[in-house]
Parts: sequence; C-alpha cells; structure tokens
Amino acid sequence: MERLSATPRPDWRAHVERDLGFTFHTIGGEPYWDETAYYRLSSDEVDALEDATSELEQMCLALVDRVVGEGEKAFERLRIPRNAWGAVARSWRASEKNLYGRFDLAYDGQGAPKLLEYNADTPTALFEASVVQWDWLQATHPDSDQFNSVHERLIDAWNRFGLRGRRVHFAAVKDHAEDNGTVEYLRDTATQAGVKTERIAIEDIGWDGGAFRDLQDRPIDVLFKLYPWEWLVGEEFGPALLSGGVQVIEPPWKMVLSNKAVLALLWEMAPGHPNLLPTFLEADRVEGKVVRKPIFSREGANIRVLADGRVEDDTPGAYGAEGFVYQAHVDLRPFGGRYPVIGSWVIASEPGGIGIREDATPITRDTSRFVPHLFD
Amino acid sequence: MKKSRSIRLALMGTASVALAACGDSNEPPPGAQFYSTQQECEVLYDAAACRAAFADAEQKQVAEGPRFSRKEQCEAEYGAGNCETHQAAGGGSYFMPFLMGYMVSNMFNGGRYAQPVYRGPDNSAVVASGGRKYNVGNFDTAAGRTAFRPTAAAAPTPRGGFGTTARGFGGAGT
Repeated sequence: MERLSATPRPDWRAHVERDLGFTFHTIGGEPYWDETAYYRLSSDEVDALEDATSELEQMCLALVDRVVGEGEKAFERLRIPRNAWGAVARSWRASEKNLYGRFDLAYDGQGAPKLLEYNADTPTALFEASVVQWDWLQATHPDSDQFNSVHERLIDAWNRFGLRGRRVHFAAVKDHAEDNGTVEYLRDTATQAGVKTERIAIEDIGWDGGAFRDLQDRPIDVLFKLYPWEWLVGEEFGPALLSGGVQVIEPPWKMVLSNKAVLALLWEMAPGHPNLLPTFLEADRVEGKVVRKPIFSREGANIRVLADGRVEDDTPGAYGAEGFVYQAHVDLRPFGGRYPVIGSWVIASEPGGIGIREDATPITRDTSRFVPHLFD
Repeated sequence: MKKSRSIRLALMGTASVALAACGDSNEPPPGAQFYSTQQECEVLYDAAACRAAFADAEQKQVAEGPRFSRKEQCEAEYGAGNCETHQAAGGGSYFMPFLMGYMVSNMFNGGRYAQPVYRGPDNSAVVASGGRKYNVGNFDTAAGRTAFRPTAAAAPTPRGGFGTTARGFGGAGT
C-alpha cells in the first residue's frame, strides 16, 4: 500500500458536477474530494480487506442474533432506547433486509485490518466510493483495477428488496449537501431497479394519526432514511414509526450495530480476533494507550486519546451523554503526512469495495478528504 | 476484476441526461418538478438553489429557445394560438412558443439545472433542448396548471415530528 502524488484532471470540478452530479467535492471552502494523490494497493492487500470485511459482517450478524436472543440486558448495555426493543427484535426475527454499511478499518498493508468502528445505520461517502473514484480511475488509469463494485451491488440489492413498482420515499435532513447527495445517489440506484422513488426532507414527514404522509399527502409505505434510528425513536413521531406500519431501510435491528458499545460486545464474543481491537465498556480494562469514544457519536466528535490516564488528544463535540467505550489505541501509519482510514463497504451484507479518507491527524473527522485508490 | 464494469446514472447527472432518459414518453423525467414561478420553487426548496436554477433556465431560453421568423412555422410545431411575437435585440421580430414555467431537476442535489417549459399542441408541456423537443407532460387547462405540479395538502397534516435532534448536530450521516 502506497500513496502516490498525481496531477488532477484540469477540468475535474466542472466534469464531476455536470456529468456525475457530484456537488459536494468542496465542503466549507476546503477540498473534500482530493485527486492530487491516490493510494495503490496490491491484490493481496485487497484480498485481506475483502476477507476481513466479510468476516466482520458475519460476526456482526451473529452478534445481533445473540443480542436479540439475550434481550433486555444486552439492549441496555448497547443503550438501545427501551421503546425500540420490540421493533429491533421483531425486525430481526422477520429477517428484514438491510441495504448497506461501512466498516472503518485501520490498515497500512501490514498485519490484519483492524476494526475502528462500524457505521451500520447512516453511512455516507458512498457516492464518492462508488461512482466518483471509479470515474477517476476510468479517466486516469483505465487498465488498473479498483476494489469497487458498489454500484451494481446496490442495484442488485434493491432488486432483492422486492420493491419493484412500489413507491419508496428517500429522506435526509434539509440543507446538508453531503447527506442529500448520498440519498440522491441511493435513489438513483433504486430507480434503476424499478423502484418508484420520491424525495422528502426528514423534517417534512407528516403523521396524521394513522399513516405517515409526504408533502402531497400520499402515504409513506417504505422509507429510506439517512437519519439515525436512535434520534428517530426519541422524537415526536418516533413511537408511530416503531409500531411497524412502515418498512424502514435500514431496518430497526441495525440499532444493535450502530452504536460504539457494539465494539465491546464484539470483543467479548470473539476475544483476540485478528480484525478486532480490545474494547471494553469500562475504563480500566485496556492496557497502555486507549481511545475513549462516546457510545453515540458522529464524524470523529468527542474522541479522546488517553495514555496512562493523561489526555493526549481530544476532539470537540456534543456527544457522550450515553457513556463511552474504551478501545485499545492503534498507531495509524502516516502516508505522506496524512492518516488514511479504509471505509470498507458491505452491500446487502456482502463486501463491495472501499473508499479511503485521510486526515491531517490520526482522528478522522468531517474535515477529512476522500482520496481515490487503485490496485494491480 | 473487482471494479464496476460500467456505471450509468439515472438521476444524478445533468438535465440533458435526464431528458435523454425520458425520450418521447409523456412523462416528466424522474425527479423533475415543474414550477410556473420561482416563488413556487422556494416554498419547497432553498431560495438560493431556486434562484440559481431559474437563472439557468432563463439563460437557456435566451440562448437556445425555439425561434421562428414566421408565426405559421411556430404554430405548426407548437399548435395554433400557442406562439407570441418577441422583439429581436437588433431590430425586427420573431416568434416563440408561450413560456409556461420551468422544469427543475435534482433540486435536492444542488439543483442548478432547469429548463424552460413551453406549451405545445394539445396542451402538451414541451422542453426544447439541443435542437430536439421533449414532451414532459400535459397542462390541465381547466385548472390552468400542469398536472405534475406538487400541490399543498387541503387539510394540513401535522409535520415536524422528525428532525429535531439533528439541529444540534448538523448532518446525520457518518
């Protein structure tokens, strides 16, 4: 695995905006999509990532089964809101399908990929991985390969949802370019699988006491939401959503996986697994340097690195009310002064490809940049 | 090989891609919405995005709108009584079909692409682009409106019961 400098395509901004509809390549005046460099992996490294991803997903599904079987005690440890327990168990027992997830892996080509966290419910950076880096590859290195079949896997996954001809509403928060771009891309793939798609803002969803309604007052029967379950269930319409009248994607059982306490439960289930880092719900169980992460947090907020109880690094944020997990620190190797994290996609629970984001510091935040990759 | 063989986008690209996809069917392209005024757009979407989309459409109307030197030529294509005269900048006049509004695509994705929509034969809604005409729907003459404009609910459904947590956190994706 190496990081190589590259000359950006001279017209790439106009091209990705016009031809791909990629409108959030620059966020807050800072570059997000960055083709001044790319990562080159070997085919063995790609195989290692694919195997680790497959293995991690299977472990996660086994864990959901175990948690649902165990019930109350496990739900409490995962801080799943009490009003959602029934929906979690019901959706899992009914084998409700899931669409996608992203494992964030620490990997530098040596040793086994290590799971930093699993974005199981509301992952983004999908369109960049699936379409934009593929478009970059075809334009700049058409003879090289890329670990990325996300696009056809998404269309295939939609086909298997059995929603052809049915209407699915796609929701994200208003005025957030990245979230809306991700949802728009997912809607694009669903359209290609024959789904009738509609857009609605999360804030605009109506509830008339019997059904959820869109802005034209049509019923919402199937809802794709890029909005975390733990937020939905705590809001005014949450109880109505949990009553089971609407098929929601991702399904409620993803709540088992979309919090960081799951990292501790995975380690408990498979201690010493090569793709896991020692992680606990208690502060004093990890030896040496430890990373404290809020059970619910997003975009690298409220992450604290502790060495012998001393704070070595700390990111700001408003999370942490539900408690923390403590994960053994892994030294990310910098490449050209940047710290890459591999976002490894599962589509319908199968490995589908990777997207690499890198940051100027070892904690990946919403300031990170997406850098394309290839392998040969 | 682990890379995608080919990638086709149905909705994400430009308006021209969406138009090509809609072909000669009597349906608007997927995701497209029709507005007769910019204000209607702003009810649903960000005002700046609507402004940009409408500026784009107006520029397209001037740059590539259908122009005819004689009224009969215009009416042959757009229907009797559907054309009006315009003054050319350099003197003289020409004929264009009635501008009924704008079709906007990808409003949720930055929304900078829009097309002027003209009235065609039998109250059809027509977009003219790249020398081709696309039938994107029909105007409901009884209501004086198009059939595919989003309409507000008669009895308002309670809304706003989702999205409150996000206000403290910005985006919801991870």
